Amino acid sequence: MGLIDHRFEDNFITTSIDRVLNWARESSIWPMGFGLACCAIEMMAASASRFDIARFGAEVFRASPRQSDLMIVAGTVTKKMAPVLRRLYDQMPEPKWVISMGSCSNAGGPFPTYSVLQGVDKVVPVDVYVSGCPPRPEALLYGLMRLQDKIRKEGTVLRKERVIWQGDTEPTVIGERT
Amino acid sequence: MQTIVTFLKTIFLVDLLKGLWLTLKYTPQPAFTFQYPAERRPTAPRFRGVLRLQTEPGTGAQTCIVCDQCAKACPDDLIALGGHREPGQKIKILDYFDFNLSRCSFCGLCSEVCPTKPIKALIMSEDYELGSYNRDTQILRVDEMYDGVTIEQYTR
Repeated sequence: MGLIDHRFEDNFITTSIDRVLNWARESSIWPMGFGLACCAIEMMAASASRFDIARFGAEVFRASPRQSDLMIVAGTVTKKMAPVLRRLYDQMPEPKWVISMGSCSNAGGPFPTYSVLQGVDKVVPVDVYVSGCPPRPEALLYGLMRLQDKIRKEGTVLRKERVIWQGDTEPTVIGERT
Repeated sequence: MQTIVTFLKTIFLVDLLKGLWLTLKYTPQPAFTFQYPAERRPTAPRFRGVLRLQTEPGTGAQTCIVCDQCAKACPDDLIALGGHREPGQKIKILDYFDFNLSRCSFCGLCSEVCPTKPIKALIMSEDYELGSYNRDTQILRVDEMYDGVTIEQYTR
Protein backbone atom coordinates (compact mmCIF):
# COMPACT_ATOMS: atom_id res chain seq x y z
CA MET A 1 0.00 0.00 0.00
CA GLY A 2 1.78 3.00 -1.29
CA LEU A 3 4.58 4.52 0.73
CA ILE A 4 4.84 2.04 3.57
CA ASP A 5 4.70 -1.05 1.41
CA HIS A 6 7.79 -3.32 1.50
CA ARG A 7 9.42 -1.31 4.27
CA PHE A 8 9.00 -3.92 6.96
CA GLU A 9 10.07 -7.51 7.29
CA ASP A 10 8.60 -10.14 5.03
CA ASN A 11 5.90 -11.34 7.37
CA PHE A 12 4.09 -8.02 7.49
CA ILE A 13 1.24 -7.26 5.17
CA THR A 14 0.08 -3.70 4.86
CA THR A 15 -3.29 -2.94 3.43
CA SER A 16 -6.07 -0.47 3.74
CA ILE A 17 -9.03 -1.06 5.99
CA ASP A 18 -11.37 -0.68 3.06
CA ARG A 19 -9.74 -3.50 1.19
CA VAL A 20 -9.78 -5.89 4.11
CA LEU A 21 -13.35 -5.16 5.05
CA ASN A 22 -14.53 -5.35 1.49
CA TRP A 23 -12.73 -8.64 1.05
CA ALA A 24 -14.42 -9.98 4.15
CA ARG A 25 -17.78 -8.73 3.04
CA GLU A 26 -17.62 -9.95 -0.51
CA SER A 27 -16.50 -13.42 0.40
CA SER A 28 -19.15 -14.17 2.97
CA ILE A 29 -22.42 -12.84 1.68
CA TRP A 30 -25.11 -14.66 3.54
CA PRO A 31 -28.26 -14.52 1.53
CA MET A 32 -31.76 -14.53 2.81
CA GLY A 33 -33.80 -16.90 0.75
CA PHE A 34 -36.72 -14.86 -0.44
CA GLY A 35 -38.18 -17.33 -2.86
CA LEU A 36 -41.57 -16.19 -4.03
CA ALA A 37 -42.17 -18.05 -7.29
CA CYS A 38 -40.49 -20.27 -9.85
CA CYS A 39 -37.17 -18.37 -9.62
CA ALA A 40 -36.84 -19.86 -6.16
CA ILE A 41 -36.36 -23.26 -7.75
CA GLU A 42 -33.37 -21.98 -9.68
CA MET A 43 -32.09 -20.31 -6.54
CA MET A 44 -32.29 -23.66 -4.77
CA ALA A 45 -30.52 -25.28 -7.70
CA ALA A 46 -27.76 -22.68 -7.42
CA SER A 47 -27.33 -23.52 -3.76
CA ALA A 48 -27.37 -27.26 -4.34
CA SER A 49 -24.27 -29.30 -5.00
CA ARG A 50 -24.29 -29.05 -8.79
CA PHE A 51 -23.67 -25.31 -8.92
CA ASP A 52 -22.75 -24.83 -5.30
CA ILE A 53 -23.08 -21.20 -4.36
CA ALA A 54 -20.84 -22.09 -1.39
CA ARG A 55 -17.87 -21.60 -3.68
CA PHE A 56 -18.61 -17.89 -3.40
CA GLY A 57 -19.10 -18.01 0.35
CA ALA A 58 -22.81 -17.50 0.07
CA GLU A 59 -24.12 -20.90 1.02
CA VAL A 60 -25.78 -20.07 4.32
CA PHE A 61 -29.34 -19.34 3.32
CA ARG A 62 -30.78 -17.79 6.40
CA ALA A 63 -34.41 -17.88 7.31
CA SER A 64 -34.04 -14.81 9.47
CA PRO A 65 -33.31 -11.33 8.14
CA ARG A 66 -31.25 -10.51 11.22
CA GLN A 67 -28.49 -12.88 10.14
CA SER A 68 -28.30 -12.11 6.45
CA ASP A 69 -26.50 -9.60 4.27
CA LEU A 70 -28.11 -10.18 0.92
CA MET A 71 -31.70 -10.48 -0.07
CA ILE A 72 -32.29 -12.47 -3.23
CA VAL A 73 -35.77 -11.50 -4.31
CA ALA A 74 -36.66 -14.46 -6.48
CA GLY A 75 -40.09 -14.30 -7.95
CA THR A 76 -43.20 -12.24 -8.46
CA VAL A 77 -43.70 -9.64 -5.76
CA THR A 78 -47.37 -9.01 -5.28
CA LYS A 79 -48.59 -5.80 -3.75
CA LYS A 80 -49.69 -7.75 -0.72
CA MET A 81 -46.16 -9.06 -0.26
CA ALA A 82 -44.45 -5.70 -0.81
CA PRO A 83 -44.86 -4.30 2.74
CA VAL A 84 -43.59 -7.57 4.14
CA LEU A 85 -40.60 -7.44 1.83
CA ARG A 86 -39.80 -3.89 2.89
CA ARG A 87 -40.12 -4.82 6.53
CA LEU A 88 -37.77 -7.77 6.15
CA TYR A 89 -35.32 -5.50 4.33
CA ASP A 90 -35.48 -3.02 7.18
CA GLN A 91 -34.80 -5.78 9.67
CA MET A 92 -31.58 -6.78 7.93
CA PRO A 93 -28.46 -5.33 9.53
CA GLU A 94 -26.20 -3.00 7.57
CA PRO A 95 -24.36 -3.58 5.26
CA LYS A 96 -27.05 -5.15 3.13
CA TRP A 97 -27.56 -5.74 -0.54
CA VAL A 98 -30.41 -6.80 -2.75
CA ILE A 99 -30.33 -8.94 -5.87
CA SER A 100 -33.46 -8.82 -7.94
CA MET A 101 -33.71 -12.14 -9.72
CA GLY A 102 -35.87 -12.72 -12.73
CA SER A 103 -38.14 -10.64 -14.90
CA CYS A 104 -40.97 -10.53 -12.40
CA SER A 105 -39.04 -8.86 -9.66
CA ASN A 106 -37.07 -6.72 -12.10
CA ALA A 107 -40.03 -5.06 -13.71
CA GLY A 108 -43.17 -7.01 -13.03
CA GLY A 109 -42.59 -9.45 -15.83
CA PRO A 110 -45.58 -10.54 -17.86
CA PHE A 111 -47.98 -9.29 -15.20
CA PRO A 112 -48.78 -5.62 -15.73
CA THR A 113 -51.78 -6.02 -13.50
CA TYR A 114 -53.31 -4.40 -10.45
CA SER A 115 -51.98 -6.97 -8.02
CA VAL A 116 -48.32 -7.24 -9.00
CA LEU A 117 -45.63 -4.80 -7.97
CA GLN A 118 -44.01 -3.42 -11.11
CA GLY A 119 -40.43 -3.90 -10.11
CA VAL A 120 -39.06 -4.58 -6.68
CA ASP A 121 -37.01 -1.38 -6.85
CA LYS A 122 -40.18 0.48 -5.99
CA VAL A 123 -39.89 -0.72 -2.39
CA VAL A 124 -36.24 -1.66 -1.81
CA PRO A 125 -33.05 -0.31 -3.42
CA VAL A 126 -31.75 -2.99 -5.75
CA ASP A 127 -28.04 -3.51 -6.42
CA VAL A 128 -27.99 -6.10 -9.18
CA TYR A 129 -30.75 -7.04 -11.57
CA VAL A 130 -30.46 -10.55 -12.98
CA SER A 131 -32.50 -11.01 -16.13
CA GLY A 132 -34.02 -14.29 -17.15
CA CYS A 133 -37.29 -16.08 -16.82
CA PRO A 134 -36.16 -17.77 -14.69
CA PRO A 135 -32.41 -17.14 -14.84
CA ARG A 136 -30.19 -20.16 -14.98
CA PRO A 137 -28.29 -20.97 -11.82
CA GLU A 138 -25.20 -19.74 -13.66
CA ALA A 139 -26.91 -16.43 -14.28
CA LEU A 140 -27.57 -16.07 -10.57
CA LEU A 141 -23.94 -16.84 -9.86
CA TYR A 142 -23.03 -14.25 -12.46
CA GLY A 143 -25.21 -11.74 -10.67
CA LEU A 144 -23.52 -12.65 -7.42
CA MET A 145 -20.13 -12.02 -9.00
CA ARG A 146 -21.36 -8.69 -10.28
CA LEU A 147 -22.40 -7.87 -6.73
CA GLN A 148 -18.98 -8.90 -5.44
CA ASP A 149 -17.44 -6.53 -7.96
CA LYS A 150 -19.66 -3.80 -6.66
CA ILE A 151 -18.79 -4.51 -3.04
CA ARG A 152 -15.08 -4.50 -3.89
CA LYS A 153 -15.34 -1.00 -5.25
CA GLU A 154 -17.36 0.68 -2.57
CA GLY A 155 -16.09 2.43 0.54
CA THR A 156 -16.76 0.73 3.83
CA VAL A 157 -16.71 3.48 6.42
CA LEU A 158 -18.36 5.99 4.15
CA ARG A 159 -20.65 3.48 2.57
CA LYS A 160 -23.19 5.20 0.44
CA GLU A 161 -26.63 4.76 1.90
CA ARG A 162 -29.03 3.05 -0.42
CA VAL A 163 -32.14 5.02 -1.14
CA ILE A 164 -34.94 4.29 -3.51
CA TRP A 165 -34.76 6.56 -6.49
CA GLN A 166 -37.59 9.01 -6.05
CA GLY A 167 -39.48 9.83 -9.18
CA ASP A 168 -39.65 7.82 -12.30
CA THR A 169 -38.29 4.36 -11.64
CA GLU A 170 -39.44 3.09 -14.98
CA PRO A 171 -36.86 3.43 -17.71
CA THR A 172 -37.60 5.66 -20.65
CA VAL A 173 -40.39 4.64 -22.94
CA ILE A 174 -39.11 2.61 -25.81
CA GLY A 175 -39.85 3.35 -29.39
CA GLU A 176 -40.77 6.98 -29.19
CA ARG A 177 -37.65 8.59 -30.59
CA THR A 178 -37.25 12.00 -32.10
CA MET B 1 -31.68 -64.60 21.05
CA GLN B 2 -32.99 -61.22 20.01
CA THR B 3 -31.27 -59.51 22.88
CA ILE B 4 -27.94 -61.13 22.05
CA VAL B 5 -28.13 -59.92 18.45
CA THR B 6 -28.97 -56.41 19.59
CA PHE B 7 -26.14 -56.55 22.09
CA LEU B 8 -23.61 -57.66 19.50
CA LYS B 9 -24.84 -54.99 17.09
CA THR B 10 -24.36 -52.39 19.75
CA ILE B 11 -20.86 -53.59 20.58
CA PHE B 12 -19.62 -53.75 16.99
CA LEU B 13 -21.29 -50.45 16.02
CA VAL B 14 -23.07 -51.97 13.03
CA ASP B 15 -25.46 -49.08 12.51
CA LEU B 16 -22.67 -46.53 12.63
CA LEU B 17 -20.59 -48.47 10.12
CA LYS B 18 -23.60 -48.80 7.85
CA GLY B 19 -24.01 -45.07 7.83
CA LEU B 20 -20.32 -44.42 7.35
CA TRP B 21 -20.18 -46.92 4.50
CA LEU B 22 -22.59 -44.77 2.52
CA THR B 23 -20.38 -41.77 3.06
CA LEU B 24 -17.27 -43.69 2.12
CA LYS B 25 -18.92 -45.04 -1.01
CA TYR B 26 -19.35 -41.52 -2.35
CA THR B 27 -15.88 -40.31 -1.37
CA PRO B 28 -13.80 -41.70 -4.28
CA GLN B 29 -16.26 -40.40 -6.89
CA PRO B 30 -15.27 -37.29 -8.81
CA ALA B 31 -16.77 -34.03 -7.64
CA PHE B 32 -20.24 -33.34 -8.87
CA THR B 33 -19.89 -29.58 -8.69
CA PHE B 34 -19.71 -27.58 -11.84
CA GLN B 35 -16.95 -24.97 -11.59
CA TYR B 36 -19.06 -22.34 -13.28
CA PRO B 37 -16.91 -19.30 -14.11
CA ALA B 38 -14.05 -21.53 -15.22
CA GLU B 39 -16.05 -24.07 -17.19
CA ARG B 40 -19.29 -23.36 -18.96
CA ARG B 41 -22.14 -25.78 -19.39
CA PRO B 42 -23.13 -26.08 -23.04
CA THR B 43 -26.65 -24.88 -23.62
CA ALA B 44 -29.37 -27.17 -24.86
CA PRO B 45 -30.07 -26.99 -28.60
CA ARG B 46 -33.40 -25.27 -28.09
CA PHE B 47 -32.16 -23.00 -25.32
CA ARG B 48 -33.57 -19.50 -25.45
CA GLY B 49 -31.28 -16.80 -24.21
CA VAL B 50 -31.33 -13.10 -24.78
CA LEU B 51 -32.69 -11.77 -28.05
CA ARG B 52 -30.09 -10.90 -30.69
CA LEU B 53 -30.11 -9.41 -34.14
CA GLN B 54 -28.13 -11.19 -36.78
CA THR B 55 -26.29 -9.72 -39.71
CA GLU B 56 -25.26 -11.31 -42.96
CA PRO B 57 -22.25 -13.48 -42.08
CA GLY B 58 -19.70 -12.39 -44.65
CA THR B 59 -20.68 -8.86 -45.43
CA GLY B 60 -22.18 -7.69 -42.19
CA ALA B 61 -25.17 -6.34 -44.05
CA GLN B 62 -28.48 -5.86 -42.33
CA THR B 63 -30.87 -8.77 -42.55
CA CYS B 64 -33.80 -7.24 -40.69
CA ILE B 65 -36.42 -6.02 -43.11
CA VAL B 66 -38.27 -3.87 -40.55
CA CYS B 67 -41.52 -5.78 -41.01
CA ASP B 68 -42.60 -5.10 -37.42
CA GLN B 69 -43.87 -8.64 -36.97
CA CYS B 70 -41.79 -9.31 -33.87
CA ALA B 71 -43.19 -6.20 -32.22
CA LYS B 72 -46.68 -7.39 -32.98
CA ALA B 73 -46.00 -10.92 -31.79
CA CYS B 74 -44.52 -9.90 -28.46
CA PRO B 75 -47.13 -10.55 -25.76
CA ASP B 76 -45.78 -7.77 -23.56
CA ASP B 77 -44.98 -5.15 -26.24
CA LEU B 78 -41.30 -5.10 -25.44
CA ILE B 79 -39.95 -4.56 -28.93
CA ALA B 80 -40.11 -1.30 -30.81
CA LEU B 81 -38.40 -0.88 -34.11
CA GLY B 82 -38.51 1.55 -36.97
CA GLY B 83 -36.79 2.30 -40.23
CA HIS B 84 -36.86 4.47 -43.26
CA ARG B 85 -36.58 3.98 -46.99
CA GLU B 86 -33.57 5.19 -48.91
CA PRO B 87 -34.12 6.11 -52.54
CA GLY B 88 -32.60 3.47 -54.76
CA GLN B 89 -32.44 0.78 -52.10
CA LYS B 90 -35.01 -1.94 -51.90
CA ILE B 91 -34.55 -2.80 -48.25
CA LYS B 92 -35.74 -0.61 -45.42
CA ILE B 93 -32.91 0.75 -43.30
CA LEU B 94 -33.23 -0.13 -39.62
CA ASP B 95 -33.12 3.04 -37.55
CA TYR B 96 -33.80 1.84 -34.06
CA PHE B 97 -34.52 -1.44 -32.40
CA ASP B 98 -35.35 -1.16 -28.74
CA PHE B 99 -35.84 -4.22 -26.65
CA ASN B 100 -36.95 -4.08 -23.06
CA LEU B 101 -35.06 -6.96 -21.50
CA SER B 102 -36.29 -6.31 -17.98
CA ARG B 103 -39.77 -7.67 -18.65
CA CYS B 104 -38.90 -10.32 -21.21
CA SER B 105 -40.05 -13.82 -20.40
CA PHE B 106 -37.95 -15.43 -23.16
CA CYS B 107 -40.91 -17.07 -24.87
CA GLY B 108 -39.32 -16.87 -28.30
CA LEU B 109 -42.43 -15.79 -30.18
CA CYS B 110 -40.58 -12.85 -31.73
CA SER B 111 -37.88 -14.98 -33.29
CA GLU B 112 -40.45 -17.55 -34.34
CA VAL B 113 -42.34 -15.12 -36.55
CA CYS B 114 -39.23 -13.55 -38.05
CA PRO B 115 -39.65 -14.19 -41.79
CA THR B 116 -36.16 -13.44 -43.11
CA LYS B 117 -34.43 -16.24 -44.95
CA PRO B 118 -31.97 -17.91 -45.04
CA ILE B 119 -30.44 -16.03 -42.15
CA LYS B 120 -32.91 -15.26 -39.45
CA ALA B 121 -32.59 -11.64 -38.40
CA LEU B 122 -33.89 -12.18 -34.91
CA ILE B 123 -32.70 -15.14 -32.89
CA MET B 124 -32.77 -16.26 -29.31
CA SER B 125 -29.06 -16.50 -28.67
CA GLU B 126 -27.20 -18.55 -26.09
CA ASP B 127 -26.23 -15.65 -23.88
CA TYR B 128 -27.66 -16.04 -20.45
CA GLU B 129 -25.21 -14.09 -18.32
CA LEU B 130 -27.32 -11.03 -17.78
CA GLY B 131 -26.81 -8.84 -14.80
CA SER B 132 -26.99 -5.09 -14.63
CA TYR B 133 -26.67 -2.48 -11.96
CA ASN B 134 -29.62 -0.36 -12.99
CA ARG B 135 -32.81 -0.62 -14.90
CA ASP B 136 -31.94 1.78 -17.69
CA THR B 137 -29.28 -0.51 -19.09
CA GLN B 138 -31.83 -3.28 -19.37
CA ILE B 139 -33.31 -1.62 -22.42
CA LEU B 140 -31.13 -2.88 -25.20
CA ARG B 141 -30.58 -0.49 -28.08
CA VAL B 142 -29.75 -1.60 -31.58
CA ASP B 143 -25.98 -1.56 -31.14
CA GLU B 144 -26.21 -3.83 -28.09
CA MET B 145 -28.48 -6.22 -29.93
CA TYR B 146 -26.22 -7.50 -32.67
CA ASP B 147 -25.11 -11.06 -32.32
CA GLY B 148 -21.64 -11.50 -30.97
CA VAL B 149 -21.74 -8.52 -28.66
CA THR B 150 -19.23 -9.25 -25.94
CA ILE B 151 -20.65 -9.46 -22.48
CA GLU B 152 -18.50 -9.11 -19.43
CA GLN B 153 -17.50 -12.57 -18.33
CA TYR B 154 -15.76 -13.79 -15.26
CA THR B 155 -13.02 -16.37 -15.58
CA ARG B 156 -11.95 -16.94 -12.03
